[in-house]
Amino acid sequence: MKNHPVIDVHGHWGPWFFAMDIGDVAENLRVMDEWGISLQIVSASEAVTYDAPGGNAKLAEILAANPRLRGYLVANPNDPAATEADLKRYAGSGLFCGVKIHTGYPRREISSPQMRDTFALLDEYAATILIHTWGGDVLDLPGLLAANPRLRVIAAHMGANRWDLAAEAARGCDRLYLEPSCSITDAGQVAHVAARVPATQLLFGTDATLIDPAVSFGLVEDAALDPATAEALYWRNAAALFDLAAPAQAAYAAR
Amino acid sequence: MRADPIRYDCDTLCGTWPARAELDFRPAAVRAKLTAAGIETGLVCSGRGAWFDDVDGNTETLAAGPGFLPVATINLRHALRAEAELDRMVAAGVRAVRLFGPLQGCEPVFPGYRHVVDAVLARGLLPLVEGDVRGCWPAFADRGARVVFLDVHAYHVADFVLLARREPGFVASTRLLNAPDSIETVVGEVGAEHLVFGSRTPLHDTSPATLRMRGARLSDADWAAVTGGTLEALLEKP
Repeated sequence: MKNHPVIDVHGHWGPWFFAMDIGDVAENLRVMDEWGISLQIVSASEAVTYDAPGGNAKLAEILAANPRLRGYLVANPNDPAATEADLKRYAGSGLFCGVKIHTGYPRREISSPQMRDTFALLDEYAATILIHTWGGDVLDLPGLLAANPRLRVIAAHMGANRWDLAAEAARGCDRLYLEPSCSITDAGQVAHVAARVPATQLLFGTDATLIDPAVSFGLVEDAALDPATAEALYWRNAAALFDLAAPAQAAYAAR
Repeated sequence: MRADPIRYDCDTLCGTWPARAELDFRPAAVRAKLTAAGIETGLVCSGRGAWFDDVDGNTETLAAGPGFLPVATINLRHALRAEAELDRMVAAGVRAVRLFGPLQGCEPVFPGYRHVVDAVLARGLLPLVEGDVRGCWPAFADRGARVVFLDVHAYHVADFVLLARREPGFVASTRLLNAPDSIETVVGEVGAEHLVFGSRTPLHDTSPATLRMRGARLSDADWAAVTGGTLEALLEKP
């Protein structure tokens, strides 16, 4: 348990298609309590993997009943009309604070024309995007951000097996943030990134409830960050990015 | 969260590792990481054997020192000398062998891989197997083999449980069983005798594996088995 709030910027709600018994929101709350996570920003697994509007609608009901959760609307880059409809549907609801985009399930690379058009659409809404990155595709993000000056983007998994490239991408682009959640636990990756990327661009994500928060907490702990950088990563940066300082502190105080 | 010592880590490395040349793989540095994480004994194997030369690598492994249990490796690309090297390691008291199939580009259906598996099992040695369990299990099936699969992922729990139900000696490492319930699911479905703790220190950070293990929702007996007893039983001579 930390002596400060923790904001998890990469969470999920709902069941997956693996042999896991984790679909209920109670599992989100259980791991949050176990690890001292004050707030978790989640996307619906169904929306990520299959049906974006359908999953977003189900998640909206969960969010309304669970004040420690905030939502990402999932945008399918192959369906910009549905994305825009959802953006309008939930504007002002206070339930969603960002947009999640995967690349694998919709089979669209970050460099694809569909992604270019989706980013342009989201720029009109000044969105904060959490996007799946894996390998060298993280290097495509600075160009997309340059073309869309109102966006801020979190590179999920900080490039996974190419966290070195994620550091390269983020060090020259102050609207690109990195979070470490991943099954890949290469030694020293968080320390490598933290030595090269401004501390203001580091965030904490777990990929829970797909992955246990132990993994991300372990990656950060082994980086032995100085206390100010660790606090920035664990919550202060996310609080500023998503305007969550007050609710994070309230959730921390209530634990 | 449990603070008890983790008695055995089935997955540690020493030597050097060309893809991560900046990391310290010297045995003393690895030992320090294990000690800091509360891990008493690491089953260790030199990267020299994995990447370049098994005979010299095994000699390096034998010299790792206290706090380690040496694990042999065999060059799957040069299986002609496997039996002689295995005999040398058995004579040195080694009880386990690590197979680096994916790193060495050797599939379980390759003749060299099959030959090494036969030679390892004939000597009663415990294979520690890298690679996707869904692809490498047939080389060990239907022969009463005791095997630790080092890379069983949370996504593959269903496949592993189905295998473990028919193969009493099939065991998974905890390292990639990282969903919130996958360690608990394996123990609940097939028992703690099918699971051993592994971290892949120092190639991987140690704390992701230890924190998950320490937080696992297991009985005291099951936790003790996964962190020590199961591996101890596997290393006994058949």
